[in-house]
Amino acid sequence: MDNSNFKGADNYVLDDELSHIVNVSIALEMPLLLKGEPGTGKTQLAHAVASGLDMELIVLNVKSSMKLIDALYQYDTLTRLNDSRFGDSKRDVSNIEDYIKMGKIGRAFTSEKRQVLLIDEIDKADTDFQDDMLDVLDQMEFDITEIDKRITAVNRPVIIITSNSKKDLSDPFLGRCNFHHIAFPDKELMHQIVDVHFPEINKQLAERVVETFYTLRKLEDIEKKPATRELINWIRALELEPEFNAHELLSGKVPFPGILFKRSEDLAKAKNFSG
Amino acid sequence: MFSDFFLKLRDSGIPVSLKSFMTLQKALYLGLITSVYEFYVTARSILVKSERYFDLYDKLFMAYFEGADEPLLEGLNPDEDMAALLEKWLKDPAAAARELDIDELMLQKMSPDELLEYFQKRLLDQKEQHDFGTKWIGTAGTSPTGHSGYHPSGMRVGGVSSRMQALKVAGDRRFKDYTADGPLTESTMMEALKRLRNMVPNGPRDRVDIDETITNTMKNAGEIEIIFKQSLKDRLKVVLAIDNGGISMDPYVNIVKKLFDHANSFFKDLKVVYFHNTIYDKVWTDPMRYKHPLKIEDLLKRDSETRLIIVGDASMSPYELLYRNGIIHVEDRADAPGLEYLKQIEKGFRHTAWLNPAPEYLWQYTKSIGIIRDILPMFEISLDGLEKAVAHLMVR
Repeated sequence: MDNSNFKGADNYVLDDELSHIVNVSIALEMPLLLKGEPGTGKTQLAHAVASGLDMELIVLNVKSSMKLIDALYQYDTLTRLNDSRFGDSKRDVSNIEDYIKMGKIGRAFTSEKRQVLLIDEIDKADTDFQDDMLDVLDQMEFDITEIDKRITAVNRPVIIITSNSKKDLSDPFLGRCNFHHIAFPDKELMHQIVDVHFPEINKQLAERVVETFYTLRKLEDIEKKPATRELINWIRALELEPEFNAHELLSGKVPFPGILFKRSEDLAKAKNFSG
Repeated sequence: MFSDFFLKLRDSGIPVSLKSFMTLQKALYLGLITSVYEFYVTARSILVKSERYFDLYDKLFMAYFEGADEPLLEGLNPDEDMAALLEKWLKDPAAAARELDIDELMLQKMSPDELLEYFQKRLLDQKEQHDFGTKWIGTAGTSPTGHSGYHPSGMRVGGVSSRMQALKVAGDRRFKDYTADGPLTESTMMEALKRLRNMVPNGPRDRVDIDETITNTMKNAGEIEIIFKQSLKDRLKVVLAIDNGGISMDPYVNIVKKLFDHANSFFKDLKVVYFHNTIYDKVWTDPMRYKHPLKIEDLLKRDSETRLIIVGDASMSPYELLYRNGIIHVEDRADAPGLEYLKQIEKGFRHTAWLNPAPEYLWQYTKSIGIIRDILPMFEISLDGLEKAVAHLMVR
């Protein structure tokens, strides 16, 4: 896997609580289910864990149309059909195994080294998918029916599962996971996050920007509240704007509100606020 | 003593399972918990599976550990603890067997001592197998700025006693805001309605059907024959009937409007009709309920696969349902009591759901809701309720 994926780890500010939960989950060999508002760094955590443990990270992005088998393995019938007709590849057409490709979970199981497996946005799939997948992750094995072969995990991967959904997952699913909900960072933690991303930032500016950001988050009836990602992008934009002066924020002016608010109704409300 | 805490969580309505308590015991056996603070964090992540209960957990933790001595964990005897818990549990062997994943017959044959031994063995087995090799060490390696000692409550770790730290964190009640169910926003509603679909083949045959292609090619002894199929499109027919009359619906106008706006863009084949309080012999296709009446017989002639979703608070005088001429609009006299029409609807459409914007805990106080619920399945307009309604509507 491309190492450039791990960049995020350097920018990850982690609290004590979460690091303990990660360690306990690894020791108990249980998947860790993370919930929390978008932008609280659920996905980032997996990157940080992988780079912290010096393991490879495998990301399974769950989609609503996904079937469990896609995550386990694929039988590439089309290539086999093509090979059987033209026969100009090195693959052995009579050997189906040559046409089995491992999916994300399959790769995490068969890899020689222990891996971190991130199952991102599990809530997108239906309940059956979720429960079946947990069965596989519990047993640490699955069958490839086409070749009647059982794949057993060489190393039990470290499993991190994220969910954006407000609603709870099924009980059997939750029973098999450890759970943590990442609260939205408080101001102090947010300052650290800002520091990590902008080591050079002017203290006064940081103070005002974060202050304004939390005021904006408190606005009533905002459907999509700005998250950490929006704040980082906003600061980036403010830094690039030569005309910008930190005092403007004090008077309630909000430059570039479109970076913070992505929905037109929210944007209108934010504009009203800033007058 | 942890079993007391566990039972307290359970009695307070946090759905903690015995299995998860065993997992917590395992964590203690493995030496993963070395301080009260670690206990606070670990027990929460293992026992409490929804942020909705985090605040309650904080409160119970405070109440339980306030005043406890710091060397709480030293005198701890997990065996005794577990024995005490098992004893309480065995009063209901069926439930215990279910929760612990063991056969009830086997459970009944064992004495409490044997049972305890069985579990200790199970735990120890796991302990021996366990590979202590990897422990992920927090922030030190990952944060270039070295904020490794940061604590979410704003305290520095170290120096402060672990119990104080745990109580401080629990006392912060950081999760207070998560106790209530989240608001029903467009995206969460989308989430719930997502599965209300009926995929049928439609349009030109422009997709390669790989399975059929292979089968036919085999039949042709290797001569490739490519089979095309139609792609799948959503062709679910939905009739949405909205109660838009009367002041009793006023508090719910916003939520219903949201649902309606959303349904409009969501369903390809959507028909919206209006009624007041309950459906009699006709509904209206105009919101004023005046110009375009639609007879209920005509509505019932539609494809029986149509999903009928009725939205209303179902709150009215019982006589509107039970008596002939009970209808409150004199000019719209119907021949039969409202109840009869609802029964016809129930027979006519195989998939019907009544969505009620009033919260479910209030339903028992309104008689007409009870009467309607006997005929049509009713669901609350909340994430949970919508989810259940969708599941009900999609049953074959």
